[in-house]
Amino acid sequence: MMAGSNEINANEAKKVVPLHTWILISNFKLAYNMLRRPDGTFNRELAEFLDRKVVANTVPVDGVYSFDVVDRATSLLNRIYRCAPPENESTRQLGAGIIELEKPLSTTEIVPVILFFHGGSFTHSSANSAIYDTFCRRLTGLIQGVVVSVNYRRSPEHRYPCAYEDGWEALKWVHSRSWLLSGKDSKVHVYLAGDSSGGNIAHHVAHRAATSGLKVLGNILLHPLFGGEERTESEKKLDGKYFVKLQDRDWYWRAFLPEGEDRDHPACNIFGPRGSNLAGVNFPKSLVVVAGLDLVQDWQLAYVEGLQIAGQNVKLLFLEKATIGFYFLPNNDHFYTLMEEMKNFVTPSPSPSPSPSPSPVCS
Amino acid sequence: MGPYDSSISAAAGCSSSSSSACSSSTKPPQPPDQMDHLLAGAGYKVRSNDLHQVAERLEHLENVMVKSSPVEISELVHDAVHYNPTDLASWVDSLLTELNTNPPVPVAVPTDIPDLHPFPANINVYSNNPPPLNNEFSQQVTTPLEEDVSIRLVHVLMTCAEAVQRGDLPLASLLIDDLQTLLGRVNSGCGIGKVGSFFIDALSRRIVNSPQNSVVQEELSAYENEMLYHHYYEACPYLKFAHFTANQAILEAFDGQDCVHVIDFNLMQGLQWPALIQALALRPGGPPLLRLTGIGPPSPDGRDSLREIGLKLAELARSVNVRFAFRGVAASRLEDVKSWMLQVSPKEAIAINSIMQLHKLLGPSQSIDVVLEWIHDLNPRILMVVEQDSNHNQSQFLDRFTEALYYYSTMFDSLDACTSQPEKTLAELYIQREICNVVCCEGLARVERHELLVTWRDRLRNAGFVPLHLGSNAFKQARMLLTLFSADGYCIEENEGCLTLGWHSRPLIAASAWQAVPKSSAAMGPINRPS
Repeated sequence: MMAGSNEINANEAKKVVPLHTWILISNFKLAYNMLRRPDGTFNRELAEFLDRKVVANTVPVDGVYSFDVVDRATSLLNRIYRCAPPENESTRQLGAGIIELEKPLSTTEIVPVILFFHGGSFTHSSANSAIYDTFCRRLTGLIQGVVVSVNYRRSPEHRYPCAYEDGWEALKWVHSRSWLLSGKDSKVHVYLAGDSSGGNIAHHVAHRAATSGLKVLGNILLHPLFGGEERTESEKKLDGKYFVKLQDRDWYWRAFLPEGEDRDHPACNIFGPRGSNLAGVNFPKSLVVVAGLDLVQDWQLAYVEGLQIAGQNVKLLFLEKATIGFYFLPNNDHFYTLMEEMKNFVTPSPSPSPSPSPSPVCS
Repeated sequence: MGPYDSSISAAAGCSSSSSSACSSSTKPPQPPDQMDHLLAGAGYKVRSNDLHQVAERLEHLENVMVKSSPVEISELVHDAVHYNPTDLASWVDSLLTELNTNPPVPVAVPTDIPDLHPFPANINVYSNNPPPLNNEFSQQVTTPLEEDVSIRLVHVLMTCAEAVQRGDLPLASLLIDDLQTLLGRVNSGCGIGKVGSFFIDALSRRIVNSPQNSVVQEELSAYENEMLYHHYYEACPYLKFAHFTANQAILEAFDGQDCVHVIDFNLMQGLQWPALIQALALRPGGPPLLRLTGIGPPSPDGRDSLREIGLKLAELARSVNVRFAFRGVAASRLEDVKSWMLQVSPKEAIAINSIMQLHKLLGPSQSIDVVLEWIHDLNPRILMVVEQDSNHNQSQFLDRFTEALYYYSTMFDSLDACTSQPEKTLAELYIQREICNVVCCEGLARVERHELLVTWRDRLRNAGFVPLHLGSNAFKQARMLLTLFSADGYCIEENEGCLTLGWHSRPLIAASAWQAVPKSSAAMGPINRPS
């Protein structure tokens, strides 16, 4: 009985998330249900109307300010988040951003730059969506560095490989900004990060970077979006239980992948039958965060395993009782665990690079 | 305490930044109008005391949607008009109403009506503090050297403005020379080169006229004014968006009314009105009797330009069988207009249309209060306000200069994409006059006193108006309008019942609709248009 099982599922989700999270994620779930059309098209107008956006703000709030830059060559918008400089005579007089753009981040210390790809299953949200603006501000304050949030082109209007191309362009753009240089070696110390589809994009951009010789110091993948044709245990077990239905996931893949393709496409199924071999590739170290109540977790765990088999440096952060979107609100343990892990991940370690064997952390 | 997992939230570090994160039952009740801080960070305004109720309604909505047929859901999506998604509770309720279901009876009926308090001061999400200028200005790929010069140019502009504010005119003059040199090294055809030159020019004029501080912009002839306005109208969508959105809202406000009276605070060439006349002509049930009162400056040369425009509009109205009457009210300044001059009749529905006019009343005489008061007393069915969404009215010159530099840079960026001439050049000159007024003028002469949407909201609320929300239908139509403009960066956004038009992520123009409520009654909630 549809209604009955729905009530059970609502109760399941309610037991494991705080009230605010339940409201927020349920709101998205219901809104998104209305936006996806059965014929595979997407109600972009209503989506843009409903999406809560915020403008950039050069006045620091909680020590972080932001500004938008449009890359003229690609028309892509990037939102830059930086920490407010310590107050002194010269910075107080003129606009915060003006001074900073003239100089590198630091000539002595290494300042991490995170190139962030927002989630939304390749379809929803923007760099200036309120939830992502808030998240990026927190991240910036956490790492005491710079976050660059990319407004990549979304499906179904722009399918594979548009998002990856936009990510690649953004990485090149970041690497070519003199005002993002830091450290005695005067380089841009960039990490890639993303949640959901953003995590998927981060992987592909990192792969391209590795084969093109562009340096990425690490990948942070927050319940990244991977999949495959096979139905895994977690997909069957958790279908519809915690805000997400398997058929929704299918819709988003159909909207993103080239028409006629299936979910074993290498964009989706990284280490699947059509996947690539990453052995010997100079792939950055990865922090992969898996939410234990995310139905996609088997694919994420398979990804971690695939990286391990290829001899890559990967750390798994498995958060058993976390649902998708746990990191939007600072009202749960998982949020704070995640913040701690991310901070450590981008803090330059005093000793030489860690051993390639993975060290999974479960909580 | 509901079934939600309170154990996790109570066990969390409860960091000082979010006291409402810990939803334990021992927390003291919030004041009734306290907005939840956590959801505010996600862009939603929900009162802390309403959280459980909103959750219940969301659950109810989901149950109803699950039970509905795909056809019903598709109808819901297609036909329903959505309003103000920031107010999550009312959005959910409106969907429940659309699906012909009553929301569950709340446990405690709120005795006060939600008041629209301004955002807590520490969350600046809707302020338009501008992005710092960057070097990404030319259309062509800039060389690193050119990029450096662009950054330098902005830096020196700011230093010069700061010197002007301090009164250090000799330094400021020197810096003007520097700026001219720098200008010679950038591409002055577009980007920072173009807008920079206008600001340098404005700064020079201000310096030259100090300490009298009495720059008065030269008057243009009526013809020149019309030329600039008309080309600005064609080159970029800002005026068309204003007219279009206003007409839609006015049309809806006049629904079912037989006698309607539109009062246009700045008639200009009356470009806004043919579309409304035609829309009224096609109205189901037939057009109303339409009166239009156009306010504008007196014509210096003996012409009665207001009357001329009125005659043209009357001709159009006649051709589509709309009973129409026009009156012109000549006034040099909006504050000279008194309501008796408008000769409103008690049985007509009134629409006040103010496209970029109200900010002119924010000068030393502060006539805004007087004007809003007589507007309020007319009890219009709609007061339509479209304004530049930026703070160009700050008392500190440097702050004003900075905001204007960013605002107009963005606007010029959007103009870069327009290629037709002479539209583009004349549009730039139109904007230049605004820039000059903001930068050079003071006192009575400075009329371009733009303020942010949030400020206008407060002011209008305090003057006894409530918002008439512009919904997803107006949003959709405005987006369609943009398709007429080839440039790819124009962006319509919904902002708590208002619509903004901007370039990429920066809103530049904000449109909002208002209705008068009797001032003596308690503050009321917003009104959603009937769908």
